[in-house]
Amino acid sequence: MTGHGFRASAARECAWLWRNPWDLALLTWLPLLLCAVLAWQLSAGVARNLPVVLVDQDGTAIGRDLAMRIEAAPGLALVARTPDMATAEQLIRARRAHAAILLPPDAARRSLAGQAPVILYVNASYSAAAATIQREAAAVIDAANARLAVERIAAIAPPGSVRAAPVRAITTIAWNTPASQEQQLVSLLHPALLHLLFMLAVVSAFGRELRDGISDGWAPDLAALAGKAMPYLAAFMLWGVVAIVWLAGVRGWAIAGSPGLLLAGWLAMYLAYLGVALLLIGATRTMSQGLSLTGIYAGASFAFAGAIFPLDQASSFARVWSGLLPFTHFARLLARTWVADAALAIAAQPLLPMLAIALITAVPGAFLYRRAAGDPSSWGRR
Amino acid sequence: MWAAFRLLFAAIMADRAAALLLFVSPLLYAGFYPSAYAGEVVAQAPVVVVDLDHSAASRGLIARLGGVQQARVVASLASPAEAEMWLAKDRAVAALIIPADFAAQIARGGSGSVRLAGHGAHLLRASTALAGIGVALGQTARETAREQARAQGPPALPGLALVTRPLFNTREGYGAAVFPGVAFVIVQQSLLLGLALLAATARERLGHALRLRPAQLVGIALAAACIGLVDVGWFAGMVFWLHDYPRAAAPFADVAIGALLFVSATVAASLALASLFRTRERPLQLGLAISLPLFFLSGLPWPAEATPQPLVMLAKLFPTTAGLELMIGLNQMGGRIMDYSAAALNLIMLALLYFGIALWRWRQPAR
Repeated sequence: MTGHGFRASAARECAWLWRNPWDLALLTWLPLLLCAVLAWQLSAGVARNLPVVLVDQDGTAIGRDLAMRIEAAPGLALVARTPDMATAEQLIRARRAHAAILLPPDAARRSLAGQAPVILYVNASYSAAAATIQREAAAVIDAANARLAVERIAAIAPPGSVRAAPVRAITTIAWNTPASQEQQLVSLLHPALLHLLFMLAVVSAFGRELRDGISDGWAPDLAALAGKAMPYLAAFMLWGVVAIVWLAGVRGWAIAGSPGLLLAGWLAMYLAYLGVALLLIGATRTMSQGLSLTGIYAGASFAFAGAIFPLDQASSFARVWSGLLPFTHFARLLARTWVADAALAIAAQPLLPMLAIALITAVPGAFLYRRAAGDPSSWGRR
Repeated sequence: MWAAFRLLFAAIMADRAAALLLFVSPLLYAGFYPSAYAGEVVAQAPVVVVDLDHSAASRGLIARLGGVQQARVVASLASPAEAEMWLAKDRAVAALIIPADFAAQIARGGSGSVRLAGHGAHLLRASTALAGIGVALGQTARETAREQARAQGPPALPGLALVTRPLFNTREGYGAAVFPGVAFVIVQQSLLLGLALLAATARERLGHALRLRPAQLVGIALAAACIGLVDVGWFAGMVFWLHDYPRAAAPFADVAIGALLFVSATVAASLALASLFRTRERPLQLGLAISLPLFFLSGLPWPAEATPQPLVMLAKLFPTTAGLELMIGLNQMGGRIMDYSAAALNLIMLALLYFGIALWRWRQPAR
């Protein structure tokens, strides 16, 4: 069997998977199900109709105007109007509203002098909703101001004194005009899930041989190791392509840079995790421990990638750990070639650390694994 | 019953993988996970500026940007195209572009408009940097308003001014918003995977499904609940305190009842699921990857209002969803247990449902 190791080994693995539906699940319906749930959940992209309370202690037309504008704002929904702040706070505590907009007494009179404060209380414990509400509330107040300027202030102020603000900003989000979080989150969550599942599948595949004892003369030379990993690499590359096609094709988040480079990034990421998987199983020789360590190594990648929250001010441990995760580098490549269109040399640069991790872990990993495979006394550990 | 209670602890101590999952992983994750968010708020996000105006007003604006905490000017560039390249290279997350007629517009009494661009792949950092630039713009605006007033009389100020105040997580820390949720996903996964691993191992050794009398199952559930409560106490009492996350906002009794409900539902669900596995390693293979979708379905990182309704219903089947709402509400927001009666009821229903399934799955065969 050793002679034509690669193909025979791949065929042997496929045949085994075919007979063991729960192992097959790990590279077929489980990735599909988990990725689909996330893709569906985030398909709205921007949050709509977040419940807010209007605390109107002023009781004039301004409050009625604000209520109408809140109802009309796509991101907000008015769930209650009350003069009582305690009621509003209770609604927020009970999660029936995410925020309260307080219009203090005397707001109408003070608005004539300008800068009457309107206070937005947001539930910062649910920060995703809070961020959307802040943006929407700012737009509501801007619109209310525009009307006030025309209707009321202009009536009493001397002509010419109602001027546009002296400095204005026109804000755009480069490469993501609606500032939707769908592209950012889904494009990162899918590889975050897939690399973890990939590593679990590969650790299982290699760990299983040591657990059950190597049978039918499978000899783990390098070609056979590569052949054994091949079905997993192929299946998960396919899921990578499906993830890209979903977001870029179906959802329309076009790839600004090179799709080829993006695929190279997926491949390099999988190769790096393949190396780490081999090293973990070669070092522990125990499937359950290899899987537990996989959970620790690959389970928190999303937090440590620095893609959503930057790691610049994190501890040096967190920064080093982040650099050791292939997903961190993949996230950089993703930002530079999917979202933005950086020059090839810059966009492709994260490939290097991923390939370096692959090499540095796969060489000792293959050595340790082959030694374990050649030592039947180390088999059967649970 | 008490024999079964002790048996669970003995089984955990005898099995290194189970001990790692049930005892060590909550300790490990508590030390390790929050370190990613140690900065808490984004500071000094890199920004590039393009000054096409070269006037006193534009230079004044850039100088003010230097004093802003959220953003840091990393380069002054010659053209917007160059700024886009810097963004594409990830060397900056936002750009401030001051057009050539900025000062002239202000002098005429109009609006000097600037263009701000944020990086679409780094929304959090970009929006923080843009907020910082906004502060500098506001200061410039007040100053220029005074200058304009000298020439043209005082301008009318906008009628309303929006002031934002964060509630509960008052420092608006990122870790403080994320980790108090993640902690309960960790508790659930630790119990689920640990118990399932033990159950599958026992089933493998026996060669058939393990059978338990109801009293024995209750004993095991109580032992598991003890572990779960210690986990919750460890996170809510020690770890949140250590990282200065908002905590202990509600009376202790309310938090304790909340913890009890969450742990009961989690233990019941873990026992029910544990009965399905036949192979020791299988729960780890299939279960480790569900943490991320579970966390997203909980409604914390992504609002339930923006989630499709069928998924919101599905999410109610996992103890993490109602558990997170209840525990964050009590611990961070200072509500009382009655404020979350729907979540509490959800947990009670789950506990009953899953414990019923567990009783049925682990029952003695009828003779």
